Amino acid sequence: MSRIGVFVCHCGENISRTVDVERVAEAAGHISGVAYATDYKYMCSDPGQGLLKKAVAEHKLDGLVVAACSPRMHEKTFRNAAKAAGLNPFLCEMANIREHCSWVHEDREEATAKAIDIVRLMVERVKKDKALQPITVPITKRALVIGGGIAGIQAALDIADCGHQVLLVEREPSIGGHMAQLSETFPTLDCSQCIMTPKMVDVANHPNIKLYTWSEIENVDGYIGNFQVTIRKKARSVDMDKCTGCGVCMAKCPQKKIKSKFDCGLGTRPAIYVPFPQAVPNAPVIDRENCTYFKSGKCGVCAKVCGPGAVDYDQQDELITEPVGAIVVATGFELYSIAEKPKGSSIKGYGEFGHGTIPDVIDGMTFERLASASGPTGGKILRPSDGREPKQVVFVQCVGSRAREKGISYCSKVCCMYTAKHTMLYKHKVHDGQAYVFFMDARTPGKSYDEFWRRAVEEEEAVYIRGMVSRLYQKGDKIVVMGSDVLVGVQVEIEADLVVLATAVQPRQGADSLAQKLGISYDTYNFYSEAHAKLKPVECATAGIYLAGACQGPKDIPDTVSQASAAAAKVMTLFAKDQLEREPIVARVNERNCVACFYCKKVCPYGAVEEKEIRDRQGNLVRVVAYVNPGVCGGCGTCQATCPSKSVELDGYTDEQVMAMIEAL
Amino acid sequence: MKNSKMHLSTETMNLGFVRKVEALSGSSVRRCFQCGKCSAGCPMRTFMEHPPNRIVRLLQLGQWERVLAGRSIWYCASCETCSTRCPNKVDLAAIMDALRKLSWDANGPSKESYVQLANRLFIENIKTYGRQYEMRLAAVFNIKSGQFMKDFLLGPKLLTKGKLKVFHQKNRNIGEIEQIFSRIEEMRKKGEAP
Repeated sequence: MSRIGVFVCHCGENISRTVDVERVAEAAGHISGVAYATDYKYMCSDPGQGLLKKAVAEHKLDGLVVAACSPRMHEKTFRNAAKAAGLNPFLCEMANIREHCSWVHEDREEATAKAIDIVRLMVERVKKDKALQPITVPITKRALVIGGGIAGIQAALDIADCGHQVLLVEREPSIGGHMAQLSETFPTLDCSQCIMTPKMVDVANHPNIKLYTWSEIENVDGYIGNFQVTIRKKARSVDMDKCTGCGVCMAKCPQKKIKSKFDCGLGTRPAIYVPFPQAVPNAPVIDRENCTYFKSGKCGVCAKVCGPGAVDYDQQDELITEPVGAIVVATGFELYSIAEKPKGSSIKGYGEFGHGTIPDVIDGMTFERLASASGPTGGKILRPSDGREPKQVVFVQCVGSRAREKGISYCSKVCCMYTAKHTMLYKHKVHDGQAYVFFMDARTPGKSYDEFWRRAVEEEEAVYIRGMVSRLYQKGDKIVVMGSDVLVGVQVEIEADLVVLATAVQPRQGADSLAQKLGISYDTYNFYSEAHAKLKPVECATAGIYLAGACQGPKDIPDTVSQASAAAAKVMTLFAKDQLEREPIVARVNERNCVACFYCKKVCPYGAVEEKEIRDRQGNLVRVVAYVNPGVCGGCGTCQATCPSKSVELDGYTDEQVMAMIEAL
Repeated sequence: MKNSKMHLSTETMNLGFVRKVEALSGSSVRRCFQCGKCSAGCPMRTFMEHPPNRIVRLLQLGQWERVLAGRSIWYCASCETCSTRCPNKVDLAAIMDALRKLSWDANGPSKESYVQLANRLFIENIKTYGRQYEMRLAAVFNIKSGQFMKDFLLGPKLLTKGKLKVFHQKNRNIGEIEQIFSRIEEMRKKGEAP
C-alpha cells in the first residue's frame, strides 16, 4: 500500500480562478493510496516547498503528486525538493492543472472535475514509479570540427586555447573557406585576408590542433562523449612532411590552363597547386583529373624538379579512425547557380537571366575575386568577356532568395550588405562609373549596418531602384536590364556593362549525406536544424553535436564567429566534467521478448539503438537483440510505440503505468 | 511622359540638376529613403499627379524633366508639414521652393501652369504700386489666361466685405520698394541671390 502526498497549487489566481482547488485537494485525499492532500497559494515558493518537505517526513510519504503547472515549468523544482526531503526525485510527478486545465477552460464545475481526474491519473502513475538513478557516461575530451572556414577556425581555436585537443577536418586543400575569397568585409571595409590569414596561421601552429586538409568525414559512430570518427584523407600526391612549400613544382608544371575554383573560374592554376598563395598548409596537391601524368603516364616534371622528393604519385586515400567527445559542424554554404538545373531538382535556374550563359553576368563571389587585391585582375574591376573596365554596373539582389518559384523562400541575409559594399568598392576603383542596385527590400539589421548602406546611397551615390529585374539579355557588348521602379511606377531600362547577381546562400552540396552520417536533422533546404530556435540555437537535437556558421542558415561573418565561439563554449562546458550525468528517462529492451526486427533502430531519432549479440559461454552466437545505449537515448518513447513485440519500455512511462492511468479515468 | 519607360544612364540622369536643387534648398535629396511620410500628411496630395515622395524619388534618379513637367510643385502650399515630420531631416518644403525657382528660370516645362503667370502679375503689381492691387491682378490674369469669367461670382462678395478695392492704393514709400527690387537685381548680377 503506497503513501502518496498530493499538493494542489493555486498558482496565485492562475489555477484557483477556474478550478476549485480546495475541492480538488479534498477529492484527492479520498483516492486510494493517498495519505495526505493539501493546497497552497504558491507551491513553488520557499514556504510551499517547505510544506512538501515537512509532509514527507510527517506522513512518511513514498510518492508525490504536485498538481500545478506544466512539468516543463517546475518538475525540476519539485523533484529537487523531493530529493531534499529524502525521496528519490523520480517518485515525484507533476499533474498539469494549469496549461491543460485552468488556462483552457471557463466553466468552473467542469474544470474542477477535470483537475480531479488529472490528479487521479498521476496518482496511479506514481504508484508504479520506480526509483531511478542518474546515468553516468565517460567523456573523451577531444573535439572534432568539420569545416575549416572562419566558423571552424574560430571554434577550433577557442577549444584548443582551453587546453583540449581538436581535430579540424577540411574538404579543400587549404583551410580558409569562403572568407579567404572575399576582398573587403562590411561594415568596416577591412581586408578579409588581413584579418583571416593570421587566424589560419594560428591554427597551423597550435599545439592542440591536428589539421586534416583535403579530407572528408567517412563515418561517425558512437554518442556524446564517445564518438568514433573515420576520416578519409584523400591522396594529396605530395608528402606533407617532406614538402617545403617552395613552389617550384607549380612553376614548372606544363599544365597551366586549369580554371581556378578559388578565383571563381576567372584565373587559372597548374595541375599541382595550392588554391591561393596564403594557403594553410602551404603544401600543394595534385589535381589527378587534370594532371598529364595521371592521364597518360607521361610528364612527371613535378617529381623531377622537387628537391626534397616530396611528390608521391603512388599515394593512396587513407582512412583514419579517431575518438572524439564532441563534434562542431561548420560546413558553410555555397551560392545558388542561375544555370539550368537538371530535372528533378527542386531548385530552378534563371532562364530570364540567360541561364548563366551571358559572360558578363556574374555572381557576388566572382565580383569579390575581381575586387580582391590578390585576385586574378590584381584588384582591377574588369569585365570577364573582354577585360574592359565597366562604366555602368547593375547589381541585382534577391536572385534565388525569396523566390518561391525558384524553390527558395528564405532571405539570404548577407546580400543587402555585401551589395552595398560592392557598390562602394566599385566606386572606389572606378570613379566615373555608376552603380545601380535593383532591390526588393533593403534588410540591414546589425551594428553599424544601416549606416553602411545609407553611406553607399548618400555618399557613394549608388542608385538604388526598388523593384526586381524581369529580364537580362545581351545586346551588342551591353547587357540590357529590364526592371521597374515601383516607387515611381514606371519601367526602367539600363544598358549595363556588367551585371552582378546577389545569388542565394545555400547549404553545401552533400550537406544531407553528412547529416545522415552524423545523425542530425536538417530542414527542407538541407540547412542543419538546431535543437531550439531561440534557447538552443547552437546545439543539435543529437547530444554532443553543435553547429556553427552558415551550415545552419545564412549568416554573415560577425554572426558566424559569435556562433562558433558559442559552440566552442558548449563543447568546453561538456568537457568541464569528467563524467556525463544524464536524466535516467531512457528506454530499456526486454531481451527475452525482442524478436530482433530492429524497427526501433529505424525510428530512433537519436541513433541510440544498437544490435547486441548474445553469446553462450563458448562464445557461440545465440541470438541478436536490440540494445538501447542509455548514454544516447533521448527518452522520446518512439521505440516503445513502434515495437511490435512490446519489448521496449521507457522508464517512467512504461506501458503498465500508461494503462493504469487510462483505467483510472 | 508620366508612364513612359525610364532609360537610366549617366547621360540620362541629370545629377547636375539635383546638385543645383540641393544647393538651393540646403537639403539632401539622396538622404530620402522613401518612407512616404511627407505624402501621408500633405494636404495638397490629392491634387498632385506626383506625390511629394515621388518628386524626391524622381530627383534621385535625375529625372528633372518629369519633375518640372507636372504641376505638383505648384500645388505645394508651402505649409511645411512634410519638412516638420520627415524622419530623415529632408527639407522637402525647401526642395519644392528650389524646384519652383528652377522651373521659373527654365521657363519651359511648367509653362502650361497658370501659376507662373499669376506669380509674375503678382510681382509686377508690387513693383508698380508697392502693394497688391487685387482687382487688376484678377482682371489681367483672366484676360491673359483666356478664362474671362473665372471666379467672377466671387467679386461682389469680396467687394461688399471690403476685400476688393475698385481703385488702386499706392504705397506711400514706393521709393523704398523700388530700392528693394533694385538691390535684389544687383545681388542677382553678383550671383548672391538666386
